Amino acid sequence: MKLSIIRLYHDLLGTYGDQGNAEVLIHRAKARDIDVELIEIAPNQIVPRSGNIYLLGGGEDGPQVAALEMLRADGGLNYAAAGGATVFAVCAGFQIIGSSLDSVEGKISGLGLVDADTVYTNAPRSVGELVVQPTRGDLPVLTGFENHQGLTQLGPDMPALGSVLSGTGNGFNRTEGVWHGNVFGTYMHGPALARNPELADTVLQCAVGPMRPFTDSLAQELAAERRHTLTGN
Amino acid sequence: MTGSLRLELACTIGQVAGGVSRTLKRGRGDTLTGRVILALDKNAISKLAFQRDVVLVSGTNGKTTSTANLTAILQEYAHEGVSTSDSGANMPAGIAAALASKPRNRFAALEVDEMYLPQIFRQTKPKVVVLLNLSRDQLHRTGEVRKVSQLWHDTFATDEVSLVIDRDDPFLEYSAAQAGHVIRVSFGGRRHPDAATCPQCAAILDWSKGDYQCVCGLGAKLPDVRADKRLRGPQRNSTLIVEAARLMGAEINALEAQEITSHSPDRITDFEVKGRKIPTHLAKNPESWREALTQITQQSVILSVNARGIDGRDTSWLWDIDYSSLLGRQVICTGDRKLDVAYRLSVQGIDVALAQDFESAVAATSATEIQAIASYTAFQDLTAQALGISATQGGYA
Repeated sequence: MKLSIIRLYHDLLGTYGDQGNAEVLIHRAKARDIDVELIEIAPNQIVPRSGNIYLLGGGEDGPQVAALEMLRADGGLNYAAAGGATVFAVCAGFQIIGSSLDSVEGKISGLGLVDADTVYTNAPRSVGELVVQPTRGDLPVLTGFENHQGLTQLGPDMPALGSVLSGTGNGFNRTEGVWHGNVFGTYMHGPALARNPELADTVLQCAVGPMRPFTDSLAQELAAERRHTLTGN
Repeated sequence: MTGSLRLELACTIGQVAGGVSRTLKRGRGDTLTGRVILALDKNAISKLAFQRDVVLVSGTNGKTTSTANLTAILQEYAHEGVSTSDSGANMPAGIAAALASKPRNRFAALEVDEMYLPQIFRQTKPKVVVLLNLSRDQLHRTGEVRKVSQLWHDTFATDEVSLVIDRDDPFLEYSAAQAGHVIRVSFGGRRHPDAATCPQCAAILDWSKGDYQCVCGLGAKLPDVRADKRLRGPQRNSTLIVEAARLMGAEINALEAQEITSHSPDRITDFEVKGRKIPTHLAKNPESWREALTQITQQSVILSVNARGIDGRDTSWLWDIDYSSLLGRQVICTGDRKLDVAYRLSVQGIDVALAQDFESAVAATSATEIQAIASYTAFQDLTAQALGISATQGGYA
């Protein structure tokens, strides 16, 4: 099988460098001799329905709503997710895969891949390093850089990606992100999968199943350096 | 105490404080001078700019070099000194200090931080404002490009200033949309890497004809000046500076203008480390990194990346840059965030080595020709070492 990674709307959701997540996944897949292709989908192009991993990044408020409306009209991402495709969505991308979100035009509905509501409060913008204790999957402590105004409340049955050790994360009950089936949402930039190689492998495994181990010493060193600098451990 | 006495006293005390700081090798002193002036007279900037010919220079990249070029032109024209900051200090304290130097001369050419431009505009009532460019930078501090553009749009709703802008940049067109007098310089149109959507209404911009156009009406306007399409970033900035100088009254003929534009340097400084001269590019955001990477010609390259305050604390943007010009070269990474840049390069298939600091990076290569690219505070540290003053800890200049 050829693993196809779909990077969605880099032009709209590429403000915060999350496009690196695709490069990391490809690099780590190739290291396991997995045949992999990257498909860039520009705004107004049709979203493939048969992709394996769909990536959404952070973007600015206006482009975020533009991206949401296009994805809603296209329907491809919802179709693929319903069929079990893996989705990894960051920041603005995380907000639009939720059920609803505040926008300049008031509350609008999201794509509904996960049950999550994003609200805009008067709280100061959450900007800084985010450290997260993952709740599942034998993952080590995760780190990233958050930069967002919206806060996201997960529905009662929605498992978070982890709990916040320092930083804001979702902004409710110390939760950070979401991990529901094969759908991931997070506020971590960095990019998240560059700074957290085990999380990158978790995302890959959702799409391809068990993989043989691969140690990339620079990736491990980077993850360890960030963890150490931020937690002392 | 009368207003002018207070101001004079404030300036004298400030300059003494700055001088002491310089003598103690604690820094260049400009910012301290300005802080003292503003603490003693909070209206000092307005007073010092009163009835003078002020030009402001702002934008993401090239502010310091452009301001220096403009200062040089105005100095030659006026046959007297121009109030300016030599060190790139571009926030209120630095600007107060710049204005307090040569306070009785006609011209002031001031570099202004993007976020402070509205305030400094109101305080100095400039004749001309040059908006060089807008692209992603320091997302943790200035926020997104369109927010800066909106801030400027609201600021320049006036006929009382002349703006000089790069007309190919939609963020600048929106910034200037309410201004009465705008000189638009075109470099033949080129797609802006951060402007997929309209700064005014967020709809997708149509770039299909080389220029941009939005359904809301925002679009590339007819240029007042047409410049060479092949000009690189620093030269484009110089072209805008020549137009600004003309608006300030300095007469420059076409030949002189061409001379200025062709000689405008990139922000490159030769640092001497262990007896070896290393041309170092200052690069602080994706756009300036792309520009610096086009200038790499040597086999050995040192990259020094920090993520302290002014560098941008989030290093994710390192992944927005294509480093293929480094393929096949010897690359040594250093700085606080050497691992972030090294890992990013390795994923692109570039061999990298790590070094504890800049000196060890130099020692790690036997090559005689080395080039370096340094992020803002890494560059400041090298400058400080070269001047023999204590290194910065990443505070704003």
